Amino acid sequence: MFLHCFRYELTTALRERSVLIWLIIFPAVLAMLMNAAFSSIYEKTSRFSTIPVAVVENSPDPVFRSVMDALEDEEEPLLKVDYMTEEEALGLLEKGEVRGIIHTGDDISLTLSDTGVEETVLRTFTDQYVVSSAIIGDVIRQDPAMAMKAGEAMSAELSPCIEKSLTNGITDPFIQYIYNLIAMVALYGSILGLQISVNNQADLSPLAARKTCSPISKTVGVAASLAAAWLVETICIVIFVTFVRFVLGVDYGGSLGLVYLTSVLGGMAGVSIGFFAGASNRFSYEVKLGVSMAFNMTLCFFSGLMAGNIKLIIEEKIPWFNRINPPAVISNGLYYLNVDSDLHRYIPAMAVLIGMTLLFSVLGAILSRRKKYASL
Amino acid sequence: MEKTVVKTQNLVKRYGDLIALDHLELDIKEGEIFGLLGPNGSGKTTAINCILSLLAFNKGTIEIFGKNMTPASYDIKKEIGVIMQNVAVFEELTVQENIDYFCGLYIRDKAQRKQYVEEAIKFVGLEDFRKFYPKKLSGGLLRRLNIACGIAHKPKLIILDEPTVAVDPQSRNRILEGIQELNRAGATVIYTSHYMEEVEQICTRIAILDKGHKIAEGTKDELKSMIFNTETVNIEVLDLPEEVRKEIAALPHISGTDYEDGRLTVKCSGGSHNLIRILDVLRGHDTAFGRVTSELPTLNDVFLEITGKALRDKEE
Repeated sequence: MFLHCFRYELTTALRERSVLIWLIIFPAVLAMLMNAAFSSIYEKTSRFSTIPVAVVENSPDPVFRSVMDALEDEEEPLLKVDYMTEEEALGLLEKGEVRGIIHTGDDISLTLSDTGVEETVLRTFTDQYVVSSAIIGDVIRQDPAMAMKAGEAMSAELSPCIEKSLTNGITDPFIQYIYNLIAMVALYGSILGLQISVNNQADLSPLAARKTCSPISKTVGVAASLAAAWLVETICIVIFVTFVRFVLGVDYGGSLGLVYLTSVLGGMAGVSIGFFAGASNRFSYEVKLGVSMAFNMTLCFFSGLMAGNIKLIIEEKIPWFNRINPPAVISNGLYYLNVDSDLHRYIPAMAVLIGMTLLFSVLGAILSRRKKYASL
Repeated sequence: MEKTVVKTQNLVKRYGDLIALDHLELDIKEGEIFGLLGPNGSGKTTAINCILSLLAFNKGTIEIFGKNMTPASYDIKKEIGVIMQNVAVFEELTVQENIDYFCGLYIRDKAQRKQYVEEAIKFVGLEDFRKFYPKKLSGGLLRRLNIACGIAHKPKLIILDEPTVAVDPQSRNRILEGIQELNRAGATVIYTSHYMEEVEQICTRIAILDKGHKIAEGTKDELKSMIFNTETVNIEVLDLPEEVRKEIAALPHISGTDYEDGRLTVKCSGGSHNLIRILDVLRGHDTAFGRVTSELPTLNDVFLEITGKALRDKEE
């Protein structure tokens, strides 16, 4: 009996057009738009790149040149140095083709036309060079034999000006939007959950009334519907995650297998939440759907789908909300997979999702189990 | 002795201050087509929903096949087929899949189910539409599918709640013939409707409901015999002298006469050969007459006489 019901519940859900639209097409289109709009912003704006700089030699400085040559030999050099006259350098600075002009001679000085990360790096570099060269000058004066070692020490001192990440994961903030999009698809599983309640409670639809008149127990009927909804949601979310990874080429960071697992657990939680929401009131399916979608989008907003920093604000003000807001739990789980080297934060997040799935499924089943209705 | 299939005793259902069922007593025997007749809001559907254990009721008992009916009475539910007022099928399943799904809730054996589904499709005449989705079916075909889903498992008790609402005459006739055929095959049928013609046509026994109260019960002839006016005779008479009308009014079993716009209406109460006696009076006075009709009372007349109002609203 369970298999009979499961088979037809599955067929019904897979043929439901709104499922295809809300769980696959809509998020896929959204992911494509986001990918087109945001994926290269980080690369262009935030990621460190070699700083073009002009050097005007008021008098030859072989030590400075040797330091510059050493820095340019790096795999990802800090500076791209061009030697030129002051007029040429000022022209390039005005056009923005170099970020600053270093004047060498008796004193090292720096000319900048703007403020920013690259300008700050240049200022730090020149300040450090001035300090280091003064110290090394003193060392050489005291012991000329130390000249070679002093030069190596100076290059080493200046070389640490490189980008250093705290994680091996993807640091592009765009990936957070993708995580939130996956969380949204998971929460849209509530559409399937709503249908379970509408199709099993006699006071919600004639179809449910007819099923209630049959000799099948409510528990078996609901269990079959729930299992079918979970499977359909799993299929949809796996298709979406696969599409984003292999068609749009977005790297989630972390293990792809665990990304799928997180998404599937999130989707199951979404279905269960919808089931509970549907069973808890007698509004029509259309009203339930409208309210549910609005509620889901609100939760997604708080998890950062529309405004990336909202989750950080909530983390500061009411951190417990991020621990129970389903889309935040899902996106955090994916984030932990990306940035953490172990699963110490990931496992509790998944435990919350599993807990939600069980809790809302049981509550929904208890509410659906009501045997007779006051009115139909 | 006929076995009782459905028995309700003192059934009371209230919605706040509104009494939807007022101590309803029904005793439906095996093999009957039992009609529940009444205007909209009279409590027919409420009674059905209580019998099916869908609705909680305030007082009374319900027994089906001699057992107390509860929501968990799966052994009873196995023998019942339900056709609700609203079409209850899956939009995403084809005709054949819908029937197979509902039949499968009752019949576990696949081979038997396949055979039953085929028989149900043939029974309602949907052979050419088995791969159609419900939204592609006309209103009448959709109703037939609704019926097929309810009877495919060959139930012993079939409950049909207004199955012909918004159905074209062709489909309606087919549905009514089908119900009689199911009954002949051994099923007991409970049929609710506010269409008195349908109830008169197919029901072997009828209960008339009004405001949740059973106001009359019996065969159609028994119900009609309950009322004073048993026959209405209409005769076209171009010129009817007053003394002739008075002579007709004085005949035995004549309860009233009326002459208006060349039409004589005579109401009879009991007796036999009333029409012949009336025509003899007209001939005796050489009074010319045209078309003559005799109307037997309808269930609407029964309802009208008992409640003082028509069974069916004028707009219906």
